[in-house]
Amino acid sequence: MAIRLSRTFILRKLHQLSGIFPLGVFLLEHFYTNSKALTGPGDFNNAVKDLQSIPYILFVEIGGIFIPLIYHAVYGLVITMEARPNNLAYPYSRNWFYLIQRITGVILFFFITFHVLNFRFGMIPGLNTVSVAHSPDQAFDIVSREFRMIPIFIVYMIGITATVWHLANGIWLFLVDWGITIGERAQRLTGYACIAFGVVLLLVGVNAAVAFIRPGGLLGGIIY
Amino acid sequence: MPSQPKTVEIHIRRRANPDSPQYWEQFEIPYRPNLNIISCLMEIQKNPVNKAGARTTPPVWQMNCLEQVCGICTMIINGRARQSCSALVDNLDQPIKLEPMAKFPNIRDLVVDRQQMFDHLRRVHAWIELDGTHDLGPGPRMDQEDVQERYAYSRCMTCGCCLEACPQYEGDNYIGPQAIAQVRLFNMHPSGKMTRQERLEGIMQEDGITNCGNAQNCVKACPMGIPLTRAIYEENRETVVHGLLGWLKD
Ligand code: SF4
Ligand code: SF4
Ligand code: FES
Repeated sequence: MAIRLSRTFILRKLHQLSGIFPLGVFLLEHFYTNSKALTGPGDFNNAVKDLQSIPYILFVEIGGIFIPLIYHAVYGLVITMEARPNNLAYPYSRNWFYLIQRITGVILFFFITFHVLNFRFGMIPGLNTVSVAHSPDQAFDIVSREFRMIPIFIVYMIGITATVWHLANGIWLFLVDWGITIGERAQRLTGYACIAFGVVLLLVGVNAAVAFIRPGGLLGGIIY
Repeated sequence: MPSQPKTVEIHIRRRANPDSPQYWEQFEIPYRPNLNIISCLMEIQKNPVNKAGARTTPPVWQMNCLEQVCGICTMIINGRARQSCSALVDNLDQPIKLEPMAKFPNIRDLVVDRQQMFDHLRRVHAWIELDGTHDLGPGPRMDQEDVQERYAYSRCMTCGCCLEACPQYEGDNYIGPQAIAQVRLFNMHPSGKMTRQERLEGIMQEDGITNCGNAQNCVKACPMGIPLTRAIYEENRETVVHGLLGWLKD
């Protein structure tokens, strides 16, 4: 006989899952598309155009990104409000990770709201009023123009770092929350794997962002 | 180790009764080697005069085994929840600050009401049905590895250190690592397995296992070295397999 599932149980499991699938998977796709900028504006603009030609794009975008994103963000804030951090009395690394996961979550709430309004919808008057998604021809130029403004670029560096942290640590959390990782040794090993994954992902994300202001990215095109 | 002066200074966070406010009171007692916190409290109790020289009520605390197996003497000592019977003055920085645990109702001085932990044990069916009208024969045999793991969980003394240290536990909003480890203990037992469903239901309610935020303070704070995170993650697996995916077997 199946066990009755409580509301909290279902909401938490959905929250844990949505962070990996679809949101984590979407982040990888996003960095993949961004990295197209490494080989030049034309390649990036084409990638944006290709994305817009995905069949059922409206449903994919709403069901695969916006709904999970809003759910994960809002319920994440609810979870954050329950936290009673005690890092000074119990200064262990996992306890810091616990706090940082919540801080990056709050940063992401604001950063992603700004980012989506800014580039997806072009709804930040005074900064950008052209939707990147709907103007693939200008996609690279819109981003490039903004990234040349130092404060905007800094905001994006903070946003990318927070996102990568939140996902890399989030994968570790998913593994324990779903009972995949169990023992102390496995916890440690998956921890190292998540750190390695996060470092690589951060380099990829930052390199792609730099490619909008410096042709070829950090290494000037030596490695694409 | 801090150099020891001739006296021991102790600050106690006190409360006269459940409805009155907390306040700090300072005491000073003569130093002796190998004092523990309970012996300090007994010393103060013999002559309840505070540091300023005023007579006061003797501080109230709980104790029983005096060898860190019953858990009842747990309090916050210099910011950390631990047993006062095994906390040696020689290893502590002075002034020594004693406070009642903050996550349980404070009855008086250093005494808290830990009833919520026992209620949780009852809710998760933290025992094995053995009684019958006839002889049930010898119990089933168990794997040595399981026996060892179960032994670790069985050492829980319901002291509350893990709950006190948990950043997700406040006002009884979360069943907590202590009860979850006991679910693991009894679900691992071949006879206990027969009531597994009841235990899983117990930890899957609104205040259930999904409220864990993986800060892992509990496992660091447990004085009995119980592998609490392993227990939580094993139960995460059980709740996913039997709870979330259970309907696939219907
Ligand atoms: S791992 Fe879970 S139960 Fe343990 S301290 Fe952290 S939040 Fe609390
Ligand atoms: S698990 Fe450890 S810290 Fe928690 S109540 Fe039991 S003995 Fe105390
Ligand atoms: S008196 Fe029993 S643990 Fe301290």
